[in-house]
Amino acid sequence: MATFTERMAPVLVLWLAMSLSGTWAVDKGNFKTCDQSAFCKRQRAFKPGESPYRALLETMELTNTRLTLQLINDNNKVHLLLELYRLQGNITRVKINELKPLRPRYEVPDVLIREPLTEPLSLLSQDENGVVLSLGSESQRVIVSARPFRLDIMEGREVLMSLNSRGLLAFEHLRMRKDTFSYKVSSTVASVWDNIKRVFSSQVDPEGEKKEEADQATQAEKAKEEEDKVEDGMWEETFKSHSDGKPNGPSAISLDFSLPGVEHVYGIPEHADTLRLKTTENGDPYRLYNLDVFQYELYNPMALYGAVPVMLAHNAQRTTGIFWFNAAETWVDISSNTAGKTVFGKMLDYVQGSSETPQTDVRWISESGIIDVFIMLGPTPKDVFSQYASLTGTQSFPPKAAVGYHQCRWNYNDQEDVASVDAGFDEHDIPYDYIWLDIEHTDGKRYFTWDPHKFATPKEMLQGLVEKKRKMVAIVDPHIKVDSNYKIHNEIRNKGFYIKNKDGGDYEGWCWPGSAGYPDFTRADMRDWWASMFAYDQYEGSMENLYTWNDMNEPSVFNGPEVTMHKDAVHGAWEHRDVHNLYGFYVQMATAEGLIQRSGGVERPFVLTRAFFAGSQRYGAVWTGDNAAEWDHLKISIPMCLSLGLVGISFCGADVGGFFKSPSTELLVRWYQTGAYQPFFRAHAHLDTPRREPWLFGPDNTALIREAVRQRYTLLPYWYQQFYHAHRTGEPIMRPLWVEYPQDPATFALDDEFLIGRDLLVHPVTEEGARGVTAYLPGKDEVWFDVHTFQKHNGAQNLYIPVTMSSIPVFQRGGSIIPRKIRVRRSSSCMMHDPYTLYVALNPQRTAEGELYIDDGHTFNYEKKEFIHRKLSFAKNMLSSANLAPDAQFSTHSWIERIVILGASKPSKVTLKTAEGQESQLEFDFDASMSVLTLRKPGVNAGLDWNVTLQ
Amino acid sequence: MRFHVIIAAVFWCGFVDSRKIRGISSSYKRFYRERKSFLCIDGSKIIPFEQVNDDYCDCEDGSDEPGTSACPRGRFYCTNLGFRPHYIPSSRVNDGICDCCDASDEYNSHARCQNTCWNLGQRERAYVEGQMRTLDEGLQLKQQLIEEGVLLWREKQAQLRELQQVAEDLQIKLEEHRRKKHEADRLKEQTLKALEAGDSGLFRRHNSTVSGTFKLLDSNKDGSITVDEVQAKVALVHDEERVLSEDEAVALLGGGDQMDVTMFQHTLWDVLTKGDSVKIRDAPGVGEDPHLKAADRAAEWEATNLKQVEEAYEAVNMEISDLQKKLAIDYGPDWEFLFLNSQCYKLKVYEYTYTLCPFNQVTQKSTAGTEVSLGRWGMWADAPKNQYSQMVYENGEPCWQGGSRSTTVTLTCGTETALRSVKEPSKCQYIMDFQTPVACQLVLKQRGIHSEL
Repeated sequence: MATFTERMAPVLVLWLAMSLSGTWAVDKGNFKTCDQSAFCKRQRAFKPGESPYRALLETMELTNTRLTLQLINDNNKVHLLLELYRLQGNITRVKINELKPLRPRYEVPDVLIREPLTEPLSLLSQDENGVVLSLGSESQRVIVSARPFRLDIMEGREVLMSLNSRGLLAFEHLRMRKDTFSYKVSSTVASVWDNIKRVFSSQVDPEGEKKEEADQATQAEKAKEEEDKVEDGMWEETFKSHSDGKPNGPSAISLDFSLPGVEHVYGIPEHADTLRLKTTENGDPYRLYNLDVFQYELYNPMALYGAVPVMLAHNAQRTTGIFWFNAAETWVDISSNTAGKTVFGKMLDYVQGSSETPQTDVRWISESGIIDVFIMLGPTPKDVFSQYASLTGTQSFPPKAAVGYHQCRWNYNDQEDVASVDAGFDEHDIPYDYIWLDIEHTDGKRYFTWDPHKFATPKEMLQGLVEKKRKMVAIVDPHIKVDSNYKIHNEIRNKGFYIKNKDGGDYEGWCWPGSAGYPDFTRADMRDWWASMFAYDQYEGSMENLYTWNDMNEPSVFNGPEVTMHKDAVHGAWEHRDVHNLYGFYVQMATAEGLIQRSGGVERPFVLTRAFFAGSQRYGAVWTGDNAAEWDHLKISIPMCLSLGLVGISFCGADVGGFFKSPSTELLVRWYQTGAYQPFFRAHAHLDTPRREPWLFGPDNTALIREAVRQRYTLLPYWYQQFYHAHRTGEPIMRPLWVEYPQDPATFALDDEFLIGRDLLVHPVTEEGARGVTAYLPGKDEVWFDVHTFQKHNGAQNLYIPVTMSSIPVFQRGGSIIPRKIRVRRSSSCMMHDPYTLYVALNPQRTAEGELYIDDGHTFNYEKKEFIHRKLSFAKNMLSSANLAPDAQFSTHSWIERIVILGASKPSKVTLKTAEGQESQLEFDFDASMSVLTLRKPGVNAGLDWNVTLQ
Repeated sequence: MRFHVIIAAVFWCGFVDSRKIRGISSSYKRFYRERKSFLCIDGSKIIPFEQVNDDYCDCEDGSDEPGTSACPRGRFYCTNLGFRPHYIPSSRVNDGICDCCDASDEYNSHARCQNTCWNLGQRERAYVEGQMRTLDEGLQLKQQLIEEGVLLWREKQAQLRELQQVAEDLQIKLEEHRRKKHEADRLKEQTLKALEAGDSGLFRRHNSTVSGTFKLLDSNKDGSITVDEVQAKVALVHDEERVLSEDEAVALLGGGDQMDVTMFQHTLWDVLTKGDSVKIRDAPGVGEDPHLKAADRAAEWEATNLKQVEEAYEAVNMEISDLQKKLAIDYGPDWEFLFLNSQCYKLKVYEYTYTLCPFNQVTQKSTAGTEVSLGRWGMWADAPKNQYSQMVYENGEPCWQGGSRSTTVTLTCGTETALRSVKEPSKCQYIMDFQTPVACQLVLKQRGIHSEL
């Protein structure tokens, strides 16, 4: 009720000083360019050329599961160790570390779901120039060239991918600082030791050794020179007023990958950019460094809240992936030999049989850690998804309610406010499942607490929601108010769980509560403790229908460099620099674990996070952060979520309506219509914006929004099934068209439309004042049915669709069967026992297939095979339901209410046959104008075998 | 399947036993008379009567399924005997949540619904009775307030007239004073002009006599000129600024320290008229001219008088326009809201104290002590049913992201006049619930409990 200013004065002043200096755009000056990030500048200064690295083939060791080999940098004589693994499922892993690092270098833990299973490697041939290894059965080989070192992965005569082909492998070895006392002592000791060694070593061929010694001496000198070149930013770096003391000195790594035949690369979220990644030669590389970017701008490579260092490369023949397994600040450069060419130029090349194959070159640069790359060799998009899933796991299977609609706002002010918004949904007959509370619900931004006045009786409030079969999400951020009267803070401090600053004290930064500490989530014991805080007896006022939202977990530090933590902060043995991009991942992991534990492992958690890393898909949902109420932000929600889906994070959404600023009514309606067809469907609004609950814009707009939300709810069975599928396979739910039509180049760059699963194509209206949209319907021999009118359209065409304010262009693929529940109720739980309507869309061959998945919707019992999974197929005029999981057990009250067959002809008789063999005639209705056959009330239980025959 | 059979059986029993169609009001019963077939109420389709309430939607308008959740556009009638009957959307039938107080909507769900209609009815009746009492009392109070309002209105009108009278009087006075001042000014000007005209030939024209000049020099009019008087009035021609020394003055006085008129005529007079070394000093002459001084004083006096009258006139006019502005506000058909003017009402919500001064302003004061304006009186919101149900206060303190604070005050009927609640649903947009007898409306009384109780 108070003004924001008054309550948040200290924090706000700071926040504004940092962020509001511009108008409505990001203040780019707050964030580093490559030039301002010392290691990026250093590395990017190296241009392609001959690599100084050489493979020492005589050091090669090949066991059944791995190959090891030393590399030497001829400029500084530092030895590296290369490890090469063949992993199950057509993955090759390449690891490069220093042979003898001064200190251990960071290797990312906890992200891989297990130590990857290896497959045997075998040596095909070897000479002084290199070795050829077989990568399993598929005529795949990897060629290790010695001088200069490079790796080429081949299939048949074709090069799939080359590493270090442009000579950009770089490995800044750890070193002592020259001007310090300790360096002098240790270097003296080392030379003494060398002398002793020499005396005691066998004295064969003194001549030869002398020569070698001389060689070594000159080389050592050269190397020394190399090392003496201390560049700016190697041992210390300042950005704005923040200094980064780098006690460990330079430690960057870099490697290039060449992708012959590839013109399209995707992934490496999070960036507010097109689905197809752009070349970066004329600007900064894409940056991966989790940051709280205030009012981010679109269509640029700046880092955002999360980072998944996974890139997919695709052409009509093959899809591959590169997983650069590093959690430090990372920059990715992309170049292409066709990037500059016009379509006409490319055509000319084609006509004239131009020599050059298209090729994309990629270069990864990270600040610390080791080179650890998983090369996923496809060959299909779905193979890459399953390869990546075998490493980092799949999308967690959310409670069904979380797939419904979420109503959020910063902030619902008090319990009365919550009750009245809840009642508003009933009054206007709009379903919703979760209402959300932002930071103002706490007692002075102390998470796990409630404002004693505004939320005096949280359980009463939650019980009120239980009675409506609805749920709530409350925010729990990872910054902890420094306040000796706050239990959470005291416990973390007493247990020594806070991240430390470089001087060993608890790291403190500014965030919402004012001065705050940041728990060290990289510690397993800290995460266990954090999880235990979600127990019902610890988290006062919590109940089973209260779930959690982790915001600000990049981590956001208002007064830190780039609004995040100082890189020289300390996590036990490691610097923040090493683990930065993992922080948010761990926060969500610990929180999800807490929600699982509080129910004794029975209930599925739901946790939303803003920051993420590879593997975050295992712990819940992600949203695209603090967007704005602008048409371009609506548009960008599509490529942003598509990019996340490609790298495993399916449960993605953008704030419906836009977070900053106030949307026009038209934009708000269009955003609901778009959000209703994206995996995570939540409306959210900034504290300073006027209210925008769906019924505040006149009855017409209320009706439009109601209709969009209802469409979501009718499709919940299909959505839920997609989540189950994603959980099982790692395939994205919301997916680009090329994933399903990998050979159709027309789909490769599309990012204004998308598929949900295989069977629904959505082309939302994202233009202001639109009168029509042009949707590309893929598939040469396919047909698509407008889900609203049932009109049939041929595939492989650009279809112009006139639109009005009520239009949401959605098409069902001919050949698919989609289950819906058309009795839309107050919340998804209310619809649990409702009957299904099956939409059977026939393809030109008059067949169709689909699935039906049913479980209890909220527990882990599906892991104990308590579910129904059925295959629905239509062929030869018969629709049948068969059990896909005969070993599973579950019973449902739901039955088949109606079957709608699109593209049908009129039968004379329709016969239903049940599992017991009983036959009965079904009434039906045939709409000749659209060829829609509706079968009335088959009435069979959805979990049983049955078939329907058209005669 | 078995479950479904059970549902069917339940339906069947329902049909056989009572022939009662679930979910319809008595006024709709005529549409559902047991026949062979059923015509959808919108006339779009005829279906076999068995398909009414068979949990499958046949009619576009949902009329075949008044008692199930099958139709997306359907509605279910809760009879709610003992309470108020009403319709709920079909989607709330058997959804596990008790909506009808007679539990009729959850006839086939896990929800254990109690019939709470009687209790609700009791409570509703008690509430309505309370409301009625409040309304009665409120209306009485309102009548008083209206009477007071009328009196107040008259008083204010009288006050206005009085003030207008005062203003008129003042205007007359003002004109008179203006005239007087004008005259005084004119006189002063004439005097001044005369003086100025005489200045250059002052000595020759008006004072060119021996006695005249002597008088001029004899400042204290004692019949003799002293050293001081010479020093004051006589100056060197070529150095007018310099005051003559005592010796020089004594020299002019013929060596003595004073001189009478006879002696003057033969000595100093000649020096002054014929010589070119000394002359009568010019400067202080004009200001100190007694005529001019008098004229000046008179003009000043009149100016002060005029100013006072003008100020008084202005003040009265301000008061008049203030009053007119206040009287121009719409205080309701009977001036019933007039008494709120010049009153203020406070409410403390957590750490803030809110003050509503109707028809004036709204403020918020934190315990820390800073006061923030949440808006100044703007207008009555144009509510469709009752144009005196909401007040809007606008243009308060500016907000962070542009715009300024505003407050919407909703008036409700009560026996006391008090601020009941304050909320800020969106940043800088406040809503207040303000209770007062004058918001009580006679129409409310005619409603009461539904006739179908």
